Amino acid sequence: MTMTTEPRTAPVVRLDGREKVTGVGRYAADMTLTGLLHGRFRFADIGHARIKRIDTTRAKALPGVVAVITEADVPDVQYGLFIKDRRLFAKGVVRWEGEVVAAVAALTPEIAKRAVELIEIDYEPLPVITDIEAALAPGAPLIHENWESYWQDEKLVRSGNEASRSTIVKGDTAAALASADLVVKGRYVAAGSQAAPIEPRAILAEWRSDRVQIWSSTQVPFAARSLVSETLGLPENKIRVTVPHLGGGFGAKCEGHFEPQVAALARAARRPVKVVFSRRDEFLAPDHRREGMIVEVESGVMRDGTIVARRAQVLTENGAYSADEPLITILAAIFSTGPYNVPNVDITGRCAYTNTQPSGSVRAPGAPQAAWALEQHMDEIAKALDMDPVDLRRKNLLRNGDLSPTSQVMSEIRAVETLDKAAELIGWGQPLPDDEGIGIACAWWPSFPMATSAFVKINVDGSPTIITGAQECGTGAVMTLPILAGEILGIDPSEFSLVYQDTESGPWDGGAGGSQTLFNNGRAVADAAMDVRRQLLKLAADELEAAEDDIELADGRARVKGSPDRFVTIAALADKTQGTQLLVGKGSGEVPPTPASDTSACTGRLGAESFAAPTFGTHAVRVKVDRDTGVVRVLKVVAAHDSGYIVNKVGAAGQVTGGVVMGLGQALTEGTQISGEGRVRNAHLLDYKLQTMADVPDISVWFTDTAVSDAGPKGSKGVGEPPCIPTPGAVANAIAAATGARVRELPATPGRIWSALREGQA
Amino acid sequence: MKYSATLRVNGFSYPVTIEPQRTLLSVLRDDLELTGSKEGCDDSECGACMVLLDGEPVNSCSYLALQTLGREITTVEGLSTNGDLSPLQKAFLEAGGVQCGFCTPGMLISATALLARNPRPDDEEIKASLSGNLCRCTGYTPILAAVRSAVEMTAG
Repeated sequence: MTMTTEPRTAPVVRLDGREKVTGVGRYAADMTLTGLLHGRFRFADIGHARIKRIDTTRAKALPGVVAVITEADVPDVQYGLFIKDRRLFAKGVVRWEGEVVAAVAALTPEIAKRAVELIEIDYEPLPVITDIEAALAPGAPLIHENWESYWQDEKLVRSGNEASRSTIVKGDTAAALASADLVVKGRYVAAGSQAAPIEPRAILAEWRSDRVQIWSSTQVPFAARSLVSETLGLPENKIRVTVPHLGGGFGAKCEGHFEPQVAALARAARRPVKVVFSRRDEFLAPDHRREGMIVEVESGVMRDGTIVARRAQVLTENGAYSADEPLITILAAIFSTGPYNVPNVDITGRCAYTNTQPSGSVRAPGAPQAAWALEQHMDEIAKALDMDPVDLRRKNLLRNGDLSPTSQVMSEIRAVETLDKAAELIGWGQPLPDDEGIGIACAWWPSFPMATSAFVKINVDGSPTIITGAQECGTGAVMTLPILAGEILGIDPSEFSLVYQDTESGPWDGGAGGSQTLFNNGRAVADAAMDVRRQLLKLAADELEAAEDDIELADGRARVKGSPDRFVTIAALADKTQGTQLLVGKGSGEVPPTPASDTSACTGRLGAESFAAPTFGTHAVRVKVDRDTGVVRVLKVVAAHDSGYIVNKVGAAGQVTGGVVMGLGQALTEGTQISGEGRVRNAHLLDYKLQTMADVPDISVWFTDTAVSDAGPKGSKGVGEPPCIPTPGAVANAIAAATGARVRELPATPGRIWSALREGQA
Repeated sequence: MKYSATLRVNGFSYPVTIEPQRTLLSVLRDDLELTGSKEGCDDSECGACMVLLDGEPVNSCSYLALQTLGREITTVEGLSTNGDLSPLQKAFLEAGGVQCGFCTPGMLISATALLARNPRPDDEEIKASLSGNLCRCTGYTPILAAVRSAVEMTAG
């Protein structure tokens, strides 16, 4: 990796790092409890069927089995974010192979496995639909026969297999297309893909009278608690969700997942229960895979490269049940126009039920595939105009004062800088060997302001503690909080302790999603630290007989500015507070405003009306393609990002390199393969191939590193999700540049590249 | 049928009574409660369970515990000495080579084996040697930097 700018602050070693490198850090699967039973789910194991009979008699009779439960053993509650279309356990119908039908608790994992096999289920097969367009075709069999009876968000527009339909309309697209010099059209088809955290999830539940303690590998402990509350009918303060170290999530561990089923199983067994997913379970059962997507787009352009109109249809794969995919479809629709100034926009997003794993947020949900499609389309426009792809983008990229598709006025953005820097660092325009090519792609992504709170306390010996509801999933965002608090309190960040990822200890938090942790928790922690700072300054003013304004906090001391010898240590001040008022600060900070927008001509909106503190990025990729085999070797990636002020450069750069490599996998080797019967064909890591260290090229990371207003702490923006967005599009464009052949399917497998070369298309 | 045996792990002898089909990983994690080695796939695909067997890295999920009799097993818990981190452990922390940490034990084991057999590997050797360990967080780049840094610390 090349860091083109030096860290501003000294690198901070993550507070959980020593545990992680010595192997003593505990993840959920590492935990055990007295009396612990081992749980296992019985999955549907069929794409779509009516349940005629479930018989658990033989399973219950197996020695060592303590409990077997089905839908009959839990409250009959339907849940779902925008459509309440599912239950904890299948009732009457199963709609995808990974649906949970029953759960077993037994003395050993082996007995639980055997018992699951002894559960007898008789199915009446129903038609299986795995194809998005087939699901939306007139007369298609309904995946939810009683869809009209489900509760839904009142803003949601849906019908039958169409789980959501939304539009973004600005200007007069038909007229602008008619008057354009040229109209360029394209159709792009992306396979679904998987978050694939290296840690398969694990959940433990232990009842203590009428309260349940849950340990879960979740990114969102508070959302998990809410789901348990909703489905099992418990008040939230009788449910405690605690997360040991979390082994990655990337969105797949967002929303509540399986915590209610394990809690119900432990209640039935009257003993604590642990469920650990196998890698295969992790591939099949979570309702958060990255959705398959079909993007059809046409653009009206003028000879000078000005884009005057864009019409698009974005079809997404909801899967068998609806998680947050209707909202993701709205995001995908926005990204199908890209970060460009297009005055006339007409986009329809349609989200289709299929008999496949439910889709849901995976790192920058909806964006990489939409950007992959649109950025290829941009290169196809450039080719049609005989224009340089970088020039075309520079001409049309959003600038300050421009309007987004929802008519948000852009301000303090630096999209063009990221384009120019990426082009410069990759050596755009340089002569290349015949089998090499360079591709470029741009993207944008919102920050997500939301409420949260934090406490900062100074213990009686002067040591500092941060108490937050935030969740650390590896990104280091939580680890960055001591940098902010330390700066305010004059204390070295490494001296802080952190209380986090526990619903009973910290205030509510949105969790490790939406790149929001530093953005929002950072604000709350800084506010709480300011509260303590005020208390310290007051105490120090009395002690030093100086005005508060004349005192600074540094090196663990309060001292008079300009007279470093007149000081009192924070430890001494803390000691004095015993018996009076302890040093505890609380804070939330003011949530940054969401920019104004105009969506009056749009329909089916569920959110994402405008993008707060939007981030921009450009990736440039150099590849080498073997024309005989279609095998791609990525030689170099440049990732240039406008992420606002960077609080922790090592941490932020690690987010970018991780996002880039996830994008390379999505571009080339990943992609879930599903049979016509709704069976996943590659539910393991040999056929679902993640990038390895040997595949990874040199990656240059560059940040604008400029503070912006109405953003996160110190003018920062979200960092974690954006780096995975532009890579697939840049790779696709690089392949086309190297070979003259364009692959309009994702991933670009050797077979697809080889076929595109044989067809001689471009 | 269970067999009584003694496993040598991180310099200690552990008596165990285990069935012959038990994997080394399951015995380490469940019987010895050394949970530093992780199960990411149970299929030799991810490398999170890697341990050293007489200095050679193996996926302990796919190795029978009874096959290790008379051999020295080193897990991630055995990489630091008297609380002092190894140069690789230090370098992983400083270079940002640890994010979620789930692949870290296996990565450290692979890298430890590499540096034991070649104290001055070049980038291509590092990449090849660690390509059996999947990481989803870092993009590998900081891990490569960490191993380079450990090479500088130790090879002088």
